[in-house]
Order: sequence, then C-alpha cells, then structure tokens
Amino acid sequence: MEQLILELKKQIIEVLNLEDVKPEDIDSQAPLFGEGLGLDSIDALELIVLMEKNYGIKLGDPAQGKEIFKSVETMAEYIEANRKK
Amino acid sequence: MGVYIKSSAQISIQNPLCNDWAVSPIIYREPYARAVECDYKKYINPIAARRMGKILKRAIAVSSSALSICGAAVPDAIITGTGLGCIENTEKFLSAMTMEGEEFLQPAYFINSTHNTISSQIAIFLKCHGYNNTFVQRGISFESALLDALMLFETGTVNTALVEGHDEMTQGYFKLLDKLDYWRKEADGKGAVAGETAVGFFLSKEEDTVKIEGTEILHTPSMDDMSRSLLKMCSDAGISLKDIDAVMVGANTDEANDAVYEAFSETLFHGVPCLWWKHIFGESFTSAAFGMYVADYILRNRVVPSAMVWKNSVKSAEQIRKILIYNHFNNKEHSLILLSRW
Repeated sequence: MEQLILELKKQIIEVLNLEDVKPEDIDSQAPLFGEGLGLDSIDALELIVLMEKNYGIKLGDPAQGKEIFKSVETMAEYIEANRKK
Repeated sequence: MGVYIKSSAQISIQNPLCNDWAVSPIIYREPYARAVECDYKKYINPIAARRMGKILKRAIAVSSSALSICGAAVPDAIITGTGLGCIENTEKFLSAMTMEGEEFLQPAYFINSTHNTISSQIAIFLKCHGYNNTFVQRGISFESALLDALMLFETGTVNTALVEGHDEMTQGYFKLLDKLDYWRKEADGKGAVAGETAVGFFLSKEEDTVKIEGTEILHTPSMDDMSRSLLKMCSDAGISLKDIDAVMVGANTDEANDAVYEAFSETLFHGVPCLWWKHIFGESFTSAAFGMYVADYILRNRVVPSAMVWKNSVKSAEQIRKILIYNHFNNKEHSLILLSRW
C-alpha cells in the first residue's frame, strides 16, 4: 500500500501540474479538496481520468467520488480493491 | 483626442520584463529558442498557475507588470492578438487524442486550448469585467487588436485598455515551418530566427510621452496603396511624410522578406534611418508588438540601441520624434503603426 500511495502522489503531482509540490509534502490522510491540496472540480475530472488511464477503473457512480477522493489514502485503498491493471 | 502608451512589458527570447536587450541582447545562432521565463510566483499563486500553459503565465506577468509600472489597477478593456493561441496546450490535447483516443483526455488542456483563453485569463486575474476581445488574424493579429483599441478610444467607449500580443513557438510548429524553409539555415546565416511573443501595452487617453498617431492594415497593397495610406495617416496626424524621423521595419535577414522593406524604404524613405527588431526578438505571428515595444522604448528614452539600426545611421536619437513601424506577413498582410514623442 505504501508503494501505491507514493506512486499515486507522483501521478497526482504530474497530472495536476503541482510544480512545487513533492510527494513528501502531501499528507496521505489530508483532504484533497477544499483544505489540504485545495483541489477543485476540474482537478476531480483529472483524477477520474488518471484512475481510468492508469488503473483501468471507470467510476460508474459519480457520487462515489466524494468518498474515493477524500484523501490520497482513500484513493489508494479504492484503487487497490478495484484496479484492473 | 489622443491615445498614449503609458507603459509596456515583454517576455521574449531576451531577458524578461526588462530592457537588457537594449544594452546586451542575447544573440542566438540557432533559429529556435523558447522565451526566457521570469519567476511567475511573483505574479501568480502557484496553485492558480498549475493549469496555465506558458503563454497564459506570460500574459499574466506582462499584464501585471505593465499595470504596476504606471500604477494602474484595472483597464477598461483587454484586447489581445494571437496567431496561434494556446498552441502548446492544443498540441498536447490533440496528441493525447491521437495516441490514446478520446477516452483519456485531460480537461485542463482542452479548457486552455482555445485562443480566447489568453484575454479571458487576464480578465479573471485582474477582475476586469470590461470589454474583452481576441484577434486571431495570423500575421496581423496584434495590429488588429490595436486597431480595435484605437476605435474604442475614438468612440469614447474606453479611457484605458490593455493591448497585447501573444504567441508560443512549439518545437512541432517550428519543425513544420522549417520544412517550408521558413527559418535560418546555418550554412549562410540568413533567414528568420523564431521567437515567442508576450508583449503588453497599457494605453490611455491621459497624455504621456509616446502617442499612437494611428495604425493601418492593408491587404496585398501596391506601393501606391502604401503611399496613399501613409499620406492619409500623416495627414490625420497633422504631419507630412518628411516629418517621420525613422522607419522601423520587420526585416529578418530572409532575402524575400527583406526585399519588401528595401523597396518600401528606398521608394518612400530614401536616406531615412531604418531600424529593425526581429533579429533580436525573433519572428512570430505577433512580432509586430515588439516593433511597437522597441519604438516606444526609443522615443521614451531618447536612445537608439546600436543593434537596432538596419540601415542609414541615426545622427541623433534626440531628434527622433516620430517612428513609423512597418511590418508585413508573407507580403500579403501589411501594417503601419505611427508613434510620436509627445
């Protein structure tokens, strides 16, 4: 799981173009939206694309997003349980 | 009524947001170089900047810089000219579509791939709710934006305006033009050097050192058309042709391109000092903005950097009070901008 969390942090930094953020700057349990990294709805779309592209996970129910994208840790847990690649 | 240049700022293949180019310009041997970037954190919150391509960051930086130089906050209008718009993000979006199909397209690239994103982002950043427009007119994009601004001033619609020119030169686009022999070949050292444009002017009705007397855009004009247009422009400004002290031309060492300027200057301005800027700032669809930037610098500071003299030496920079900027694009679209020291 730790490996996946680190991989995910790197991917988030790359896909969201967070130039000055390093993986160690991201608290795995901190909220991704609002506080923490302060992401917004467009970033949510980027994360949905990231999950589908890198892990083959297609988010069927958009309402699920709120729980899945709560933090890097919740994202990693969901990916671990549902990944197709 | 007059329209004056209150301030200007540039990011280019020269050092950004300064006039180092006038004293010690960076000389490029290779025909391709990207712009020298500034520290954008001074102007934009990194979180807000994360979705912005280079062209948008540059636009915010030159806008902020031009406004801060003259202590202005929000202009009445924001008008930009761009030949290619946010081409880098457009390329990323289209490349992803080509490589991976339509399933995994990143929204940020799509959002920022439209040409009018530049004017819009500046407006959002400055919280400007006034007139906002983008001109995509290939080689006369900047001049079209300027013409629009002058008409807005003339009709009393605005008292101030940010008028800008922006273009990126991606490696992909450079290579496409290279296949058409558009750029300098190392063998003979002749031909255009590519450049990237980010130039912003804050214009106002309030009097300042440099006045924009007028601008004209002509499509495939003959020398007679050029002459008539010039005479009208001079007449509107209350001057005659011989009052123009220097002509700033868009020469770039490409023989076919420069022959047009040779004919123009010999026919209408024999013996008059001719200046140029594209050997320093490079060629792009909106490079005429640099012509106006350099002319404004010369008139404002009463100095002609030696590197800017194309032919016929300048006897006294002090005596240069009126500069005509002449640029053409593929010898089809031609533009004239007349500036005077007020």
